[in-house]
Amino acid sequence: MKSHTCEFEPKDLLRRLAMPLLPMAVFAALMHAGALVRLLPAPRPTLDIDRTLLVHQAEASRARHDADVLLLGDSSCLMDVDAKQLGDQLGRPALNLGTLSYLDLNAAAALLRRSVVANPDRLRAVVLLLHPEALRRTSPEAYHVAVLKNFLDGEDFMPGTTGRDRLSTFLGLEIFRARLLARVLPTPLPGAYGRRYGFSAELERHLTEHHGSAIDPDPQPFKGSAEYRLAPQLEAASRAFRAAVPAGVKLFVGITPAPEGFVRANHRQLHSQMLRDLSGWLQAEPLELPAELPDHFFVKTTHLSEAGACAYTELLARQLEARLR
Amino acid sequence: MLFNSTVFLQFFAAFVLLYWLVRGSLRARNLLIVAASYLFYFWWVVDRDFTFLGAYDWRFLGLMVFTSLFDFAVGLGLDRLPDGRRRRWLLGASVVANLTILGVFKYHGFFVASFTELLGELGVVVAPRTLHLILPVGISFYTFQSMSYTIDVYRRELPATRNLVNFLAYVSFFPQLVAGPIERAAHLLPQFERPRVITRAMLEEGVWLILWGMFKKVALADNLAPLVELVYGNSVFTAPAVALGTIAFAAQIYCDFSGYSDIARGTARVLGFDIMVNFNLPYGATSVREFWQRWHISLSTWLRDYLYIPLGGNRRGPARTYANLLLTMLLGGLWHGAAWNFVLWGLWHGVGLMAHRAWSSRFMNQGSRFAAFAIFSWALTLLFVGYGWLLFRAGSVDQILAMTRALGNFSTPPWTGSFLINLLAFIAPLVLMEVWQAKSGDRLVALKLPVWARTGLQGGLLLGIVLFWERKAAAFIYFQF
Repeated sequence: MKSHTCEFEPKDLLRRLAMPLLPMAVFAALMHAGALVRLLPAPRPTLDIDRTLLVHQAEASRARHDADVLLLGDSSCLMDVDAKQLGDQLGRPALNLGTLSYLDLNAAAALLRRSVVANPDRLRAVVLLLHPEALRRTSPEAYHVAVLKNFLDGEDFMPGTTGRDRLSTFLGLEIFRARLLARVLPTPLPGAYGRRYGFSAELERHLTEHHGSAIDPDPQPFKGSAEYRLAPQLEAASRAFRAAVPAGVKLFVGITPAPEGFVRANHRQLHSQMLRDLSGWLQAEPLELPAELPDHFFVKTTHLSEAGACAYTELLARQLEARLR
Repeated sequence: MLFNSTVFLQFFAAFVLLYWLVRGSLRARNLLIVAASYLFYFWWVVDRDFTFLGAYDWRFLGLMVFTSLFDFAVGLGLDRLPDGRRRRWLLGASVVANLTILGVFKYHGFFVASFTELLGELGVVVAPRTLHLILPVGISFYTFQSMSYTIDVYRRELPATRNLVNFLAYVSFFPQLVAGPIERAAHLLPQFERPRVITRAMLEEGVWLILWGMFKKVALADNLAPLVELVYGNSVFTAPAVALGTIAFAAQIYCDFSGYSDIARGTARVLGFDIMVNFNLPYGATSVREFWQRWHISLSTWLRDYLYIPLGGNRRGPARTYANLLLTMLLGGLWHGAAWNFVLWGLWHGVGLMAHRAWSSRFMNQGSRFAAFAIFSWALTLLFVGYGWLLFRAGSVDQILAMTRALGNFSTPPWTGSFLINLLAFIAPLVLMEVWQAKSGDRLVALKLPVWARTGLQGGLLLGIVLFWERKAAAFIYFQF
């Protein structure tokens, strides 16, 4: 028995399926043209936690501010030091431009240069803070480097590794997401970040209110290897960073703490040795900050809790107070 | 296989091509449907957190094949036997077999845990062995569908089919296999037995339903999910947070489930089948009773026909009617999942239906002609259904209590503004479409637009789908039931 009768031609089916593609083509053309002739606003891809942090810090770096102490470094700098508290204790405004350990000193140098250009003759001191975890990293994550670079250059970030990425780029979806969607719709943050901050807009607000500092709300068991060392690549990167520090501005360097119960027995000696080498490469004044702190001060191996950050900021303030007089 | 996954798109394209190639033979085509449906079902493994791993597991398929073969044989027996005790026993065997499978796989852990807890309260400490079974996807749907067949044959409302392929296709038909609509044999089975006509209008309707259903799932439900999680994933609550989170969940579950049903109906339509409407603008209901006439229609009518009416329905006096309503809704709640919050949700709706029945039997039609009364009834129904969603979504009874207590705390969370922007953005398309459908009285009103407008609308939906298409497809909520 014949199974069915089709009361339409195959071309009907094809036309039916092709029809919705036409508006998509028009949309893609509009997006690409809008970006090309700069009809659309510049990309601002606050679409997840990492990109929200990067966008905020990059914007803060090129904005006018009154800070004369600038904190730079990885996510331990971002989360372990409250710049607002530090400024209050020092009696001089501080700004935290710490980012993520996926980036390297070149990224920190780029932010520093922009800040100096936007705020000439303002800066008195640069404090570079890095976690031992970041010190052994041999290369930055290409994705994060590209996100920061494209944002600073006002260009769209077009991931192109998979067919899906290429299609998304071709259809202008990345342009739409970064230039329009992210500007209109705050992104809900996942997990503990969502519970603490809510959305990307609230995370940005917190960063602004705390002069660029954040709190890591996501406790995790300590994990990874406690075998810390300085990556050989760090020497050249340190010298390049030094070159970005304007003449007459003091450069301090510190290594942020690790949990007491996690590190090896010789961590303090190792910490001192690494700090000595690093400060030598950077030609910076080393900060004598604790190499390790009690476990209860940490939310994870690399980040202090809110209470831990408060205590650590106080220690940092004491170190800087005398040297900035 | 998830509808909102790339692998399904590939599967469906290949299936349609093969379907076209075997158009000369009804039997071959039905066999192809069975093979494709089994492949569709076989294509996943679900872990304990209900994450789809994208692999396959033959054991779940074996369970479905067993159910199908058993009920097929029971159907043949019921057809041949004269009315009497043996016939009743045979139906009993089918019902017991189906409910045992459902009970073991779905409720075993829940009942063992609840019993152990109860004994613990009484001071008896036991450490029972549980089977740690994973819930097979869609088991509640295909079990009910298969069971309705044997009951209908028993009632002589339907002759038993003698074609095994057709019956296997009826139980496993992939568009509605894992999350319904729960079809009745009298409606779906004959469609496998006769040649199908696929008209241009059916094609138009199918494509529209797939696009709109996919848009509701991918662009709306999946974007509402993080908003819901923001509230329900927390441990501290306030009234505005609970209200916002629950509104978001009401929209999420509707977009998710009705999205699935629309894709199922659209996919079937393209293949020349007609699947029943499962949702009919439920949030426009002005009473709890009306809500259940519009929400998950295939389940509510199943419960009505195979549970409420056999229990006596409203034929045995008011007290028995109320008891029947309560029991039906309690079991309806339990059908959704083996957890106390679903039991409470079922009871809540049972009580709502009882209250509505009591009210309407006393004040029938009084005031209903006033617009203000209708608006009041609508708002009250939404509030009632909304609190029901809180019971449904909460992770535990403790959370239900904490969220209910929080309804007296009116402090506003700092993220309220951002939440509202997101909520409006992802609810507005749904509200606009449903208001348009309600005003026109036609759920397919979009197909009556001029070609240029329809093209624009469908292009917009497709754009929304592509924009929010996730690398890792999010499972439909009702897959877990």
